[in-house]
Amino acid sequence: MNYSLQFGQIAADVPYILSGAWPTLWITFVTFFAAAALGMFIAMARLKAGPLASRLAGLWVTLTTNSPLFVVLFFLFNGLPNWGILLSPIAATLIAFIVISSGYLAEIQRGGIQSVRQAELDAAETLGMSRLQILRFVIAPHVIKTTYPALSNFFIFTMLGTSMASLVGVNELTGRAIEVSSRTFRSIEVFSLVAVTYVVLSLLASAALALVGRWLFRVKARMI
Amino acid sequence: MVDHMFALFTLGNMQFLLRGAGMTLLLTVIGCTAGLIGGFLLAYARGIKGTLAAPLRWGATAFVEVFRRIPFLVTLFLVLYTAQMIVPRTPLFWVAVVSICLLCSAYMAEIVRSGMESVPAPQIEAAEVMNFSRWRITWMIVLPQAWKVILPSTVSYMVMFVKDTALASQAGVFELMFAGKALANRGLDPFLVFATVLFAYFAISWPLARFGRWLEARLARRTHEGDRR
Repeated sequence: MNYSLQFGQIAADVPYILSGAWPTLWITFVTFFAAAALGMFIAMARLKAGPLASRLAGLWVTLTTNSPLFVVLFFLFNGLPNWGILLSPIAATLIAFIVISSGYLAEIQRGGIQSVRQAELDAAETLGMSRLQILRFVIAPHVIKTTYPALSNFFIFTMLGTSMASLVGVNELTGRAIEVSSRTFRSIEVFSLVAVTYVVLSLLASAALALVGRWLFRVKARMI
Repeated sequence: MVDHMFALFTLGNMQFLLRGAGMTLLLTVIGCTAGLIGGFLLAYARGIKGTLAAPLRWGATAFVEVFRRIPFLVTLFLVLYTAQMIVPRTPLFWVAVVSICLLCSAYMAEIVRSGMESVPAPQIEAAEVMNFSRWRITWMIVLPQAWKVILPSTVSYMVMFVKDTALASQAGVFELMFAGKALANRGLDPFLVFATVLFAYFAISWPLARFGRWLEARLARRTHEGDRR
């Protein structure tokens, strides 16, 4: 055991590593909201569309939720170029993340939509609300309220998942850690710094999500 | 295209991939078994009452919160480098096993805890009145009812986890994804190789997911019937 921790040697690289949080965060945001929109579309197709569309949506969910994100990412980044499709690291990352997350988010949102009771919809119709009004005042608040905890969990999950992007060369938090650790050989120091950063980031995100849920949607959620 | 297929789909290559798939399954089973045990211990430690046990409670809570909030990839690298610091030339398989156990126990602790919380509190209070020890309450009253909640969640966690084990290949552990990378590095068409690997993961994950849903429906039905009786 001839290794001693030398945090001083990575001190100069700390700002560089920590600013990798920005790419991590924006990839998370883009992925989450794009996948949520796609997932909403799939959930609606599954519940309200014709038999063929709902079958296809079901197939999409089965395929995406049973494929490992990491392998899909490798397939897009290393497999497709052989067939003439060259994707940049960031494009491959976004496509893989959005496709895979859309399946999970579709399932969460389907559960939310199904939890709206028919009686409430009938009541809204009796009151003479238009379809848009029903969506805005009856369905949306209900769906948000029931799915919010699952959605915020998935947001944190996505944030941790973005570390995989480093393996195709995206320069986010983990990517910068790998780069600095192979330059300075202070691997333990670098990775423990990054681990702490992830813990802090996700705690902040959890707290922010709980506050947003409480203020905007009146969801009672645990802070942590 | 056809040439590539003939080059890839040979008996030797398929056996190689199957061995990788076997390792993926082994890692999953090790992870979930260790996770169940570790998760139970953590959940139990978090519920111990008394001022003296406070550090134990906080320690267990901190462990769960921290390891649930570090990406598996980062845990894997940390374990890899730390293990090499303590024991030079640690076998990579054990690096994977240790990181998997850390991750799984943290996640399973939450699953076990929510299962144990599903048991109605009056039962536990009644047992406390009858002077049952906490261990006996857990073992004889809570767990026999909680496993109906824990088991389906464990299977659905397993479905998630099978896919996470692919990351172990990044630390050089031989499993399905590693076998795929090795074949691609040997010059076989990466498109076909990774498509095959993707299919293999699907073939493991899909039946497991179906089984999980079946189990959940069956246990829910049984509980429902029990209520009516």
